[in-house]
Amino acid sequence: MIRRLRKIRVAKNFRFRLYLLFTATIALLTAAFASFYLITEVNAFRSTLEREGRLLATVLAQNARLPLFAENREALDLLAASTARYPSVLFVSISNAEGVALTEVKSPRYPGAGAIDMTVEITSPGLVPSPEAVLLGRAPAQEKRVIGRVQLRLDTSGAKERLKKLVAATLALGTLFWIVVSLLSYQILKRVTSSFNLLMRGIEEIGSGNLSARVNLDSDDELGRGANAINAMAASLELRELENLSLQEELLHSMKLEVQEEKKRVMARLIHTNKMTSLGLLLSSMAHEINNPNASIRFSGHIIAKIWSDVVPLLDGVWREEGEFYLGGLPFQQARGALAENAARIVENSDRIARVVQGLREYGVGGGARLRPDLQINVAVEAALFVLACQMQQEVWLKTALGSDIPVITGDQHQIEQVLINLILNAMQSFPEGRGEVLLSTRHDRAASEVVIEVEDGGAGISAETMERLFEPFFSTKLDRGGSGLGLYISQYIVAEHGGRLQLTSTPGKGTRAWVTLPVGGAPL
Amino acid sequence: MQFLRTLLACLLILAPLPAFGYDILVLQSLRETGYDESVKGVKRECSATMRTVVLSDHAETDVTRIIREEHPRLVIAVGDRALEVAQKQRSAPVLYMMALHARPRQKGSVTGVGMLFDPARYLSVFDSLGSKKVGVLGDPLKNGAYLKKAQAQAKRSGIELVVREVHSPRDTLAMLDSLRGKVDALWMLPDSTAVSPETTEAYFLLSQGERVPLVSFAEVYLSMGGAVTLGIDRFDIGRQLGIMAQSVLNGTPAEEIPAQSPRRSVLKVNERVLRQLKISIAGGG
Repeated sequence: MIRRLRKIRVAKNFRFRLYLLFTATIALLTAAFASFYLITEVNAFRSTLEREGRLLATVLAQNARLPLFAENREALDLLAASTARYPSVLFVSISNAEGVALTEVKSPRYPGAGAIDMTVEITSPGLVPSPEAVLLGRAPAQEKRVIGRVQLRLDTSGAKERLKKLVAATLALGTLFWIVVSLLSYQILKRVTSSFNLLMRGIEEIGSGNLSARVNLDSDDELGRGANAINAMAASLELRELENLSLQEELLHSMKLEVQEEKKRVMARLIHTNKMTSLGLLLSSMAHEINNPNASIRFSGHIIAKIWSDVVPLLDGVWREEGEFYLGGLPFQQARGALAENAARIVENSDRIARVVQGLREYGVGGGARLRPDLQINVAVEAALFVLACQMQQEVWLKTALGSDIPVITGDQHQIEQVLINLILNAMQSFPEGRGEVLLSTRHDRAASEVVIEVEDGGAGISAETMERLFEPFFSTKLDRGGSGLGLYISQYIVAEHGGRLQLTSTPGKGTRAWVTLPVGGAPL
Repeated sequence: MQFLRTLLACLLILAPLPAFGYDILVLQSLRETGYDESVKGVKRECSATMRTVVLSDHAETDVTRIIREEHPRLVIAVGDRALEVAQKQRSAPVLYMMALHARPRQKGSVTGVGMLFDPARYLSVFDSLGSKKVGVLGDPLKNGAYLKKAQAQAKRSGIELVVREVHSPRDTLAMLDSLRGKVDALWMLPDSTAVSPETTEAYFLLSQGERVPLVSFAEVYLSMGGAVTLGIDRFDIGRQLGIMAQSVLNGTPAEEIPAQSPRRSVLKVNERVLRQLKISIAGGG
């Protein structure tokens, strides 16, 4: 298994592949050159043999021309025998134009392992004219007349021997050349690819996550430039990673702080909500505790008034009969009015207490929207002012300018009151020195068919930063003074639920103007 | 157009008519530059009217009929074949030239200018070369008489003429071989049996091998290794025959005019060969 893995690893090695490619290419080229050399040599040898044979045959044909014409067989035999003495000649034959062999000489090696047959014609000289033609000045004829043939058979066994030797020598030389060049190329490749391996090792180490690793390659070639680029990239990555780690730590720290702050805020809101719940419960319980004696007081007032109305005729008869007398230190005639007036005042104030208590109870307990199609804005304003009567400060003047022809709208009076209380309280608390004037006005915008309520103060105003976050829930600049940060948020919600708008404009140092617009027809909630 | 064609045809038909009045019928074996040169030579010396018939232009020419119908006063045969054809008639005398193998059948009415110089000219050349034994090959049928005449003249000149008879071109090589070591000069006669394209080379090989000068009959052999050539002048042969023709036309019977050898010869020497053979011509080139 290990051996197999090693084989696969070696096979995927760049150096091994290059070496394989080099050696294969060299082997192919060597084989090609060796084959080309062999073929060329064999062809050259054969060509030389043929040329030699043709030359021999031509010379023989030239020499045999006259003896052949004279049919001098002895001379032809001598010529053929002298030609047959050449080592490459196996057979010589000289025949006349009719094909009759006049002489034939065979070498002892005849027929031989391989042979090349060669035939050369023996021709009469074409440039030699007849005497008559010469005397007539006739140009010599160019055509030659064939008077015979010389046939040679050449031995090619020498060529085969030479070919064997050539093949052996070429194979030996080729193999030696291949081995030497392969070894040289291995050394060259080893040297060339050592830089590549260094680069690869460095890249793998960086790739494995070790960004502080570097490619130690000291060269000015492409690999050296690549290594420098990779080192620069690794350094950059390392720097980025450090920055990321630092940022992460900062983020975690910030998140922790923010969570702590948020936790504090949430806890404060929870405490505040708990307080409000407790306050609601307190208000409910107070209403209950106040309502019982108040009902008794009002009943007593009614009884007193009723008894007094029954007693007055009797006391009038006494006065007429007895004259002036005193009740409670006051003359009867003066006491008669004062008692009735005080009894009525007892009932009236008792009713007022009952209304206040009811208002507080409803404010504290809350409840779903109870829409009224005949809500009068001025009534809601008066109710709000009534609730805020005890919050009025001596140095803050609240001026009202309520419109007289304001139509009724559809809405929840208590919710509108809550909105007005929030806006008026904000206005009253806007004076840094606790002194100032708040103007509350209502009017009817006929053009837009809206009812407009405006609360304007000449207080400190609101900064631009605060203005941007004004309607965020739990955002308040008066958290330390009991602010919940929900006033404007809830107010905007209520106004929007009524189909209207709540807008504020402020100039720091000069004051703030808040106005609520509500549609006359009302909006479906 | 039709009229013109008819006129042209009539002219062509009537064209031979003026030929009926000519004096000499020139029978030419074939159209050959050498023959034309000779005929020009004839016309130069003889102002008689002539009609030329080239035998090779016709498949068969009935010269007897032509002569019978046209009555030429003389027939000039140019070439061996023309001579052979001309001798078939006996009504008109025949003068021949450029016939290498001229052998007049009937003596008297056939005469002319042969192709061979008088042997004395060749012998004078050998004499100037300093040769005493001259080998020569010839066909007795073609040049037997000439060779005998040459032998006789040579004897008088103190030159031994070693004559080898050849009856076939194949004999040439053996006969030439038989001359090895026996001669100090070779004479190449314009004999078509002794000298053929196949055997010409052997003369030069023998000349080279035996280091003896070769005297031949045409300049072309100088380039092949010949030492001296004694060539003919075809135009002058024509002029020589033209004089003979004019003489016949003037009334001299042809029988009284003997056959002649060419009167003008052109001697050419291959100096390089002579230098190689270390031979010089006595009395200059």
